[in-house]
Amino acid sequence: MSVAVAAEVTRDYSMSGGVVHALRGVSLAIEPGEYVAIAGPSGSGKSTLLQLLGGIDLPTSGHVEILGTRLDSLGDRALTRLRLLRLGFIFQRFHLLPVLTALENVELPMAEAGVPRDERRERARSLLDYVGLLDRAAHRPVQLSGGEMQRVAIARALANRPALILADEPTGELDAATGAGILALFRRLTADGSTLVVVTHDERLAAEAGRVVHMLDGRVRG
Amino acid sequence: MLLALLIAAQLPRVAVERRLAAELTLRVGDTVALAATAESRETRAVVGAVFEPPPDPAAVLRREYRVRLHLSDLAQLLGTPDRVDRFGVTLRPGVSPDTAARRLNALAFGFRAYPSTAIAAESSRTFLVVSRFHRAIAVISIVASAVFLLCIMLLKVEERRADAAVMRFVGVRRRTIFGALLLEAALVALAGSVLGTGIALGAGALTNLYYQRLFETRLVFSLITPSIVAFSVALSLALGLVAGALAAARLTRTRPMVLWGRG
Repeated sequence: MSVAVAAEVTRDYSMSGGVVHALRGVSLAIEPGEYVAIAGPSGSGKSTLLQLLGGIDLPTSGHVEILGTRLDSLGDRALTRLRLLRLGFIFQRFHLLPVLTALENVELPMAEAGVPRDERRERARSLLDYVGLLDRAAHRPVQLSGGEMQRVAIARALANRPALILADEPTGELDAATGAGILALFRRLTADGSTLVVVTHDERLAAEAGRVVHMLDGRVRG
Repeated sequence: MLLALLIAAQLPRVAVERRLAAELTLRVGDTVALAATAESRETRAVVGAVFEPPPDPAAVLRREYRVRLHLSDLAQLLGTPDRVDRFGVTLRPGVSPDTAARRLNALAFGFRAYPSTAIAAESSRTFLVVSRFHRAIAVISIVASAVFLLCIMLLKVEERRADAAVMRFVGVRRRTIFGALLLEAALVALAGSVLGTGIALGAGALTNLYYQRLFETRLVFSLITPSIVAFSVALSLALGLVAGALAAARLTRTRPMVLWGRG
């Protein structure tokens, strides 16, 4: 069974100047263990497709399935629960909560999922160790560099052992050297069996992917 | 010398208020001249005691000084030995002042008896007006601060739209976000009320220090009781929670994509 399926999805936005067709009938299936890069110029619909795959937005037409469940059949609570337990998100600007430490940021999704305190603390520590930041566990985001914040965000995305990790321009805010560190981490994630969909402009990141989906004007080009 | 002592022994004895004694540098044994008015005949008297009158809010601003005389000496000084304007009656313990006043009014012709509480209420009317004025200022301050608090909360919450969107994206429930914001609002309100109480206690102490020195009195001008503190903290918490709840509800009702700036 595919981890994620997008079937003939369209997404229109009503703007003051008229309707913008961000996606025009995109179909895509993500298989377990795949590393898929979605590439294309700005405005091609890459991020919109990622948002639909992540269930944070709904298509105007067509449908999205995660592990066989159609997202349009779920209510807000069930969709929130699915995002919590089945999906991991990595954002371009990290978006860690500033009042929490690195460890607490990683713990947050597990706390929301009801994982017992000791268990989630232990797992958060092992995840920070996995991304090489155990020594920064007690630091708040303002005390971390961009690369470190992104690694904490990756650890947060892995917290509830998601079936699919979605990353939107994960190296977009980082310099080349720091981006290379994230690239190595993604390589390791893939080797460990994670399923990864990455929206990127970064050619190195796309080159590492098992499959590259090129988008243009809201359509898949190859 | 002996003659002077004999004359002094025959003079009426008066008790002088401490502030007057301090201002005129009077001591016990000094001889003073008293008169009912500036034009009336003087009567010589000896200072027999210096006393501290009980603090009286009604008298503190009038800057009046008191001299106590025996009733007969006072009547002679005023030149009206058979006239009394008012006098106090001490009741036995357990006797109702209202009942006693009613019976006296029924029996005594030419007098009107009042319970001391009625006189106190009558003489405190000025303070009632001042008290109402203070209450009005307090209500205006509370309303203004509530509006201010709500605006601040809304602004603070607006700053967190992206954070709230990300929390929703990663699967955090609306209820959790709402609860976290409410808790934060309660903590801010509690911290604010503790700070406000501290400032009020400090300002009250300074006010008392200043006016007690100015009027040479032991009167307490600013009084912050535990019930006032409890009311203020409770009100602050209630306002903080209402403002937090309104702001949090506004945030959590908004779709995550809209919070994210899309959709």
